This record gives sequence, structure tokens and C-alpha cells, in this order.
Amino acid sequence: MEAYIFTSSLKEFTRAKRILPWLALCILAALLAMVWQRLSPDSTAGERYASVSSMIVFRMVALVSAIFATAIVSQEVEQKTIVYLLTRPVPRWKLVIFRFLAGALVVAAIGAVGSICASLGAFGGHFLSNDLLLKDIFAMTFGAFAYGALFLFVSLLFNRAMIICLIYAFGIETALPNLPGDISRLSIYSYLQAIAEHPSTSSPSQGLNLAAGDLGLNTLTSGAAIISLIFLIVACLGLSAYWFTKFEYVPREDAE
Amino acid sequence: MRVLPLDRLDPGAGGGGGRLITLTNASRWYGQVIGLNDVTCEIGPGLTALLGQNGAGKSTMLRLITGQLRPTTGEVRVAGMDPFANPEAYRRLGYCPEIDNFYEHFTGREFVRHLARLAGYSASESAERTQRMMERVGMADRCDKRIAGYSKGMRQRIKLAQAMLHDPDIILLDEPLNGLDPVGRREYIDLLHELADEGKTVLVCSHILYEVETMTRGILLLHRGRLLASGDLRVIRSLIDTHPHKVRIESPEPRVVAQAVAGLSNVVSLGFSVRGDAVELQVHEPDKFYDTMASLVLDKGLRITGFSSPDNNLESVFKYLVIDA
Repeated sequence: MEAYIFTSSLKEFTRAKRILPWLALCILAALLAMVWQRLSPDSTAGERYASVSSMIVFRMVALVSAIFATAIVSQEVEQKTIVYLLTRPVPRWKLVIFRFLAGALVVAAIGAVGSICASLGAFGGHFLSNDLLLKDIFAMTFGAFAYGALFLFVSLLFNRAMIICLIYAFGIETALPNLPGDISRLSIYSYLQAIAEHPSTSSPSQGLNLAAGDLGLNTLTSGAAIISLIFLIVACLGLSAYWFTKFEYVPREDAE
Repeated sequence: MRVLPLDRLDPGAGGGGGRLITLTNASRWYGQVIGLNDVTCEIGPGLTALLGQNGAGKSTMLRLITGQLRPTTGEVRVAGMDPFANPEAYRRLGYCPEIDNFYEHFTGREFVRHLARLAGYSASESAERTQRMMERVGMADRCDKRIAGYSKGMRQRIKLAQAMLHDPDIILLDEPLNGLDPVGRREYIDLLHELADEGKTVLVCSHILYEVETMTRGILLLHRGRLLASGDLRVIRSLIDTHPHKVRIESPEPRVVAQAVAGLSNVVSLGFSVRGDAVELQVHEPDKFYDTMASLVLDKGLRITGFSSPDNNLESVFKYLVIDA
């Protein structure tokens, strides 16, 4: 049963309708990396890759996570199809955890494709010689699970969770890494930066640095970031499983 | 509000021996609004109808029994278990919700097979059960089309198929006849009787009295969240039928019709509609009156264009059972 929940969710999350917009964004990342070379001929391929990856691909992972994580339960509640799931003889925690795993895996795969596309755009045919590529894919896999677990829990707590998740993905994740002091540690992106270990690109444009989250001073080590994110993922998933088992999930107008 | 004492009806007409569903002083509040108010009842094998107007609390009661909601106070038990988020209880339960929402990109077969897999069946077992259910609900030849293109009646059948596929002891159906054509209704009701005859506990929600009358005699009557009466619908009917019953007969010759029916012993009062195109009567024992009326039409050649009874509905039952202070 667990395997079926996982594979059927995987199938659902990889439907063309869901996945094509993100693949288009991956191609956009490749094109941007290519155009960057024309706009800034002095920049190295590594710098171009790092900038596009930080500005587009990492942001995309947060955004896709928000959309996929809210689809696990929230969307089923809004579309009222939750009733079919909740009246099956399957423990609720299994439903939520295995659907999450499928969603996070797809988000990680989209992140990996995005990184490869950005690398292709920056390095051309030698895209595998990009030293940052594997670290980025590793960081993005953590990102997919961390964002997914956090957004899943948020979606179980609040109605209209998508809005909250998008505010976090775009607002907090963009602002906090640029702020001084330890407040940046409230942002998952800061941890992903520490894992990816991008070199400081220090673009002449403050706007680009802001978008890439490069203005703050990130003192996190890679190891500390990995441990912190693992803790976040486990805690959010545990809470989600508990919450989904203990509380009612009935479409809103039906509950009135 | 005065409520009909339950002992005026025959309790338990809705089912036989082992009571699989029990509600004990179950209440459910939605904030300040009460959905179900101190309901105590037991439902056993056989076909039972949960009758009530819109907003009476029928769906709330089904959601409590299916463990989607918890009672605010009181207790709900399904086969002796608390149904809330309880997979063991769901093995015994099949639920056909009122909502018309599906995974629209699935075909009917894919939808039911998907839910069979979630019920824990292997791929081959799921396919086999799905095929059997599709045949049983009369969808075998149409189940490979996308649900998005299904009529309301086809959707109702698919919902019933998914409720029956794990062969549960208890089947709960929320307004299952909505959208079915007359032939479809007949087939659906026959299928519900088959399930009841197999010893299953079948609980059907409806707000349409005549629909329920064609289905079962065992009813639970809900009104504004309270269980107003339970038992045999015919007992309620006979109680109501001793009271004057409104009947409207439309005719191009209303005076001729009035002359013909005026002398009948069951007719209490007689008048004409404002537009003058119908005779409006109050009668005792309406069934006897309908029989007499049929003979009159044939014998005297009365021209009747319409015949209706505004009291022959659920509202009249409530009017009788509940007297607003």
C-alpha cells in the first residue's frame, strides 16, 4: 500500500500539466546563463552559473515546493476529493508522508534539471566540468525536502496556505539572507547557500546581489546546515503526520 | 417546538439484529451553529433512510459516522469502534459522498481502481474488483471514458462503485439519486435492495419523501439537527393522512370538477384557485380519495390537466411532526 501511495503520487506530480511549466523555467535559466555571457563578457562561466543558479534555480525549488506541498492535502481539501482518501482503510500518516516523499523527489528532480540547464547555458558543451553542479544538486535535494516539509506543515495548519508559502518562498527567502546578523538563519535558503558553497560573485549590481541573496554574511558551515535541515525535515514531517491524524479535514463550505 | 414522541413510531423498523452504527447523545457544533443536536440512535442491517430537509444535519451525521468529523459531545461507534481516522472502521464502511468532485483526468475505471489500490488490494485484485463493480453498477461499457465527460447519473454510479468495492458491511450514501433518470433510479434502488438483502447496513440520505417511500420503510427523520422520529415511514404516513391533506386539480372546467367531487365524504373543504383554473381541496385519507377520483374521471369523463398534492412532501411531514410555538 505504501509503495502504491508513493508511485501513484509520483505519477500525479509528474503529469505533463504539472511539470511542463517548470521545465520551461529550466530552459529559461539556460537561456539567461547564455545571455549573461553577452552582457558581461568578462565574467567566468562559474560566476555566470552561480548567479543564475542562485537567482532562478534555487528560487524555483522554493516555488515548486510551495505548489507541490500544498497539493498533498490542501488542494485535495479545496477540490473536495479529500473525502475519498480519508475514508480508505489507510492510516492518515502514511497518506501524508508517502505523498510528501513523492512530491519532494519530483521537486528535487526539477531542481537538478534546472541546475543542469543553467550549467549548460554557462559552460556550453563542458557543462559537466562545472565544480558547483553536484553540490548544487545535493543542496537542492535538501531544499526540496526542507521546503516541502515546512510548507506541508503550514498547509495542514492554515486555510489558503499557498499564499503563506509563496510569501515565505519569495519574501522571506529573498529578504532574510541579505540581512546582517543571525536572522538569516530563519531562512532555508541560507542553509542551502552554506551547503552549495557558491563562491562570492560580488556582482557590481546591488539588485542582482539582493536577488541572489548575497548581501548578508553567511557564517554557517556545510555540516551545520545539513544537520539543521535534517532536524527541520524530521520535525515538520513528524508534526504533519501527527496533525493530519488528529484533526479534521473537511472542505470548508461543507463544514458550515 | 413540540416534537412527536418517538414511541408513537415503531423504533427499529429500519434494521434487524446487530446494530453496526450507534450514536449516543451525539452533537456537533460548527462554531456557534449546531449541525447535529443530541442524537441517539442505532442502525442495523437493512435499508434505512435518513430523511430531512436541506440543512437538517444529514450530511453532518454521515460525516460523523464516516469519521471525517468528531462529535463535539457524545459518542459515535461503527462496529464498536470510534470511526475517526480509524482504518479498521473504514474496512467495514463504504461511503458515497454527495459531492460531485472527482479526479477528473481519470477514467471511471482508473478512479475506482486507484481507490481499490489505496484500500490495500494488489493490482490484479483491484482490477478484478473494479471490473465486477463496474458491471454491478451498469458502467462496464462506459467506464473507460474520462470522468470529466460523465453525466451526473454516471458519476453517481461511479461513486457507488467505489463505495462497494471493498465489500463493506456498512454502506452510507448521501443523496445518491440526484441526477439519475427514472430508469437509472429504479436500477439504483434495486441495487440498494440487493445490498440490503445481502445483510448489509445501507443508510441513504435524502430530502425527497417520495424517493424514500420507494426505497424503504425504515427511516430516521432529522429536523434542524435533531432526530425527530425513527421507525416505519408508513406509520408517519398514516398519522399524517388522518389530517386534512391539500389537493389541487387543474382543469379547463373547474366548476364541473368541483360539482363532481363536492359530495365525496373525504372532502373537507373546496375552493377555486385565484386564476380560476383549478379546484383546491382539503381531503381526509388522501389515498382513498385518489382511488375515488380515478373512478370519477373515467365514469364522468372529467377533463383534468393537472393533479398535485402540495402536502405530499417532506414539509408536510415536518408540519405535522413539529408545531412551532
